Amino acid sequence: MGTAGRGTGLSVRAGLCGARATRVGAGKGHWPRSLGHEVAGDERGACRARSWCLAAHRTGVQRVSRMHYFLGRSSDLSFPKICNIFLRLHHTTTSRTCSCSKTITDEKYKDPFKLGRKDLKNLYEDIKKELLVSTAELKEMCEYYFDGKGKAFRPMIVVLMARACNIHHNNSGEVQESQRSVAIIAEMIHTASLVHDDVIDDANSRRGKTTVNQIWGERKAVLAGDFILSAASVALARIGNTTIISVLSQVIEDLVRGEFLQLGSKENENERFAHYLEKTFKKTASLIANSCKAVSILGCPDPKVHEIAYQYGKNVGIAFQLIDDVLDFTSCADQLGKPTAADLKLGLATGPVLFACQQFPEMNAMIMRRFSLPGDVERARQYVLQSDGVQQTTYLAQRYCHEALKEISKLRPSPERDALIQLTEVVLTRDK
Amino acid sequence: SPSAASHWSKVVSEAEKIVGYPTSFMSLRCLLSDELSNIAMQVRKLIGTKHPLLNTARGLVYDSRNNLQMRGLVVLLISKAAGPSNTAEISFQHDMISGIYSSQRSLAEITELIHTAFLVHRGIVNIGELKSCDGLLKDMQFGNKIAVLSGDFLLANACTSLAQLQNTKVVELISSAIGDLVQGIYYDNSNLSEENCLTHDIGISTWKKQIFLSHSALLAKSCQAAMELAKHDAEIQDMAFQYGKHMSMSHKLHSDLQPFIKGKSSDSVAFSLNSAPVVLHQELLGREAWIKQIREAQHKGNLMDFTRLQEAIKAGKGVTSAIDLCHYHGNRALEALESFPPSEARSALENMVYAVTRFS
Repeated sequence: MGTAGRGTGLSVRAGLCGARATRVGAGKGHWPRSLGHEVAGDERGACRARSWCLAAHRTGVQRVSRMHYFLGRSSDLSFPKICNIFLRLHHTTTSRTCSCSKTITDEKYKDPFKLGRKDLKNLYEDIKKELLVSTAELKEMCEYYFDGKGKAFRPMIVVLMARACNIHHNNSGEVQESQRSVAIIAEMIHTASLVHDDVIDDANSRRGKTTVNQIWGERKAVLAGDFILSAASVALARIGNTTIISVLSQVIEDLVRGEFLQLGSKENENERFAHYLEKTFKKTASLIANSCKAVSILGCPDPKVHEIAYQYGKNVGIAFQLIDDVLDFTSCADQLGKPTAADLKLGLATGPVLFACQQFPEMNAMIMRRFSLPGDVERARQYVLQSDGVQQTTYLAQRYCHEALKEISKLRPSPERDALIQLTEVVLTRDK
Repeated sequence: SPSAASHWSKVVSEAEKIVGYPTSFMSLRCLLSDELSNIAMQVRKLIGTKHPLLNTARGLVYDSRNNLQMRGLVVLLISKAAGPSNTAEISFQHDMISGIYSSQRSLAEITELIHTAFLVHRGIVNIGELKSCDGLLKDMQFGNKIAVLSGDFLLANACTSLAQLQNTKVVELISSAIGDLVQGIYYDNSNLSEENCLTHDIGISTWKKQIFLSHSALLAKSCQAAMELAKHDAEIQDMAFQYGKHMSMSHKLHSDLQPFIKGKSSDSVAFSLNSAPVVLHQELLGREAWIKQIREAQHKGNLMDFTRLQEAIKAGKGVTSAIDLCHYHGNRALEALESFPPSEARSALENMVYAVTRFS
């Protein structure tokens, strides 16, 4: 799984694309490398998901045969490994105690949101200062989602990572101005992509608000997204560091490529899962991974630390999205601020669906026609809820979080590092 | 007029020879990508619908007016006209081909990518305003989806290429040009005439500000950035900016004037009520008299008789004022070029100005 692209079975054309080939850190497969062999000894964060694991074990025997079926047709390097990992997991995850998270919660418990907040005061005011625009309406549209009601999940991880790296490097207790700019830019890039996604998906509501495209129309909404992106890009240039520019520009490219991946669906079931994970990395994790990497570069000259920051962000980011995909099935619309089963309605088969499809092969046809026939969405939803797709996806998210935890633990202890450790749990247990 | 168009084509094709091979093509890397072939596949599905993306795509392949990649070409020419700077190190010079640094060629591509991205994003349709004659809703939604994605794809490519230039000042300049472009297009959109065909009373100075944003800022800042990439000083950077700005202003005025030039009335008469001659006509005539003229040109059911309105405008002084303005910007562009040493690249830039200030 070591070389670029192989881990996710992506891109035969990797050689054509210089940018991708030279990308540091991106080469690792999206699957935690150590999944298979570390399960027995190191697997402790699993307590939260014990019931899910049990559920997984129950169906384990059945699944072995299904997994073999998968293996037989696999054309992808990563997928057999994925399957292997699962096979092993099913045999090792039965009796587990909650030792690890106890130590965190008892002594070094840090609420990541509380700790990150002090650096995020005035975050939205500062973002608005970057949006220098002369027309009142365009300004209003651009500021629409910077209303202080978002989770600011990304900026929070970024400032915590900045402090953790600074302390690791030279015990510095301050966040640099440039590192804070990265947090601001990350939120801006994220928001710009949300505005465009909502046009692409023809979405009506987000975070409990009517979407920009619904209020002002698609044409203006797309321009507003473009404007936020250009403002982020100006702020990025002003940091004055060409490496940081390269790292964060990669995010913009990944976001678009992720959106393209979402447009197509793979017929081959094995490719389908790799495709899904690659999409998840590009659409969600790349931003977190590369922003973490950017602040680590600004805070510490050691490339090992940059890799730790990147791997942490990547793994947490994928886990975050996996849970997001789970919540689309388990949460109610009020909690989420957007309609549920939204992904199915858009024709997208996410983790829970792909797992459910292993149990109910009749879902294949629905996936291929992107749930376009009347009743498809509801039937697929029922299949997912009857299957252990939700548990399996959650369990997978947990594996990524575990990998993130392993990475971040390599840094010197600090309240911020511990908050990032705690965050790996928060990601799994959030309900909205 | 047809002669003006063919003259422009000639000037452009002569200029292309000077910059070596036609590298103002959008980057090959971009053309060979999976995403672009994906876009091409998706755009095919739009055939038979009324989504504007189809026309934009058609224009990218075939542009009868030869305006395609004009911006990239200007960036290459001005790079060559400026040459290597005295302060640039010798080692910096061996990636020069036909007197242009490879970084400047990338910049020319980036400029084209950004321009094209916004041609695409301009063509997004407001779903809520569709009428039944616009065809199926889902076709338009699909068209929008592909338009957003393909525009984003071009912009993302511009961003990564920009990052590879390794020059923070250039990144800042070009990023701010994207912001300018968005604001300019935003103005363009909000100026679109309402149902009653009445436009905002913007006046020519506002028109100039808005057109700078929507038509000139990108070229002006790209020309400046090309100088920065070769480490030319602030003065040359400013001259390059001025050339890009004034050349594109006169280019825009020239194209706005075409429907009002003698001997063209048989051709399509459709013109924008926000074009320079109309804005000037309105300003010289006074708002009330203008409203009266519009009312007179309106048929039953608010259909506009553009031929009649055109005659009214031609009879006024708006057209000659617009020609004067076009010459003014052309002269400013030529003045800026005087700071560059004489060369065939500089002559080509001058010829472009002559081509867009010719009206006979």
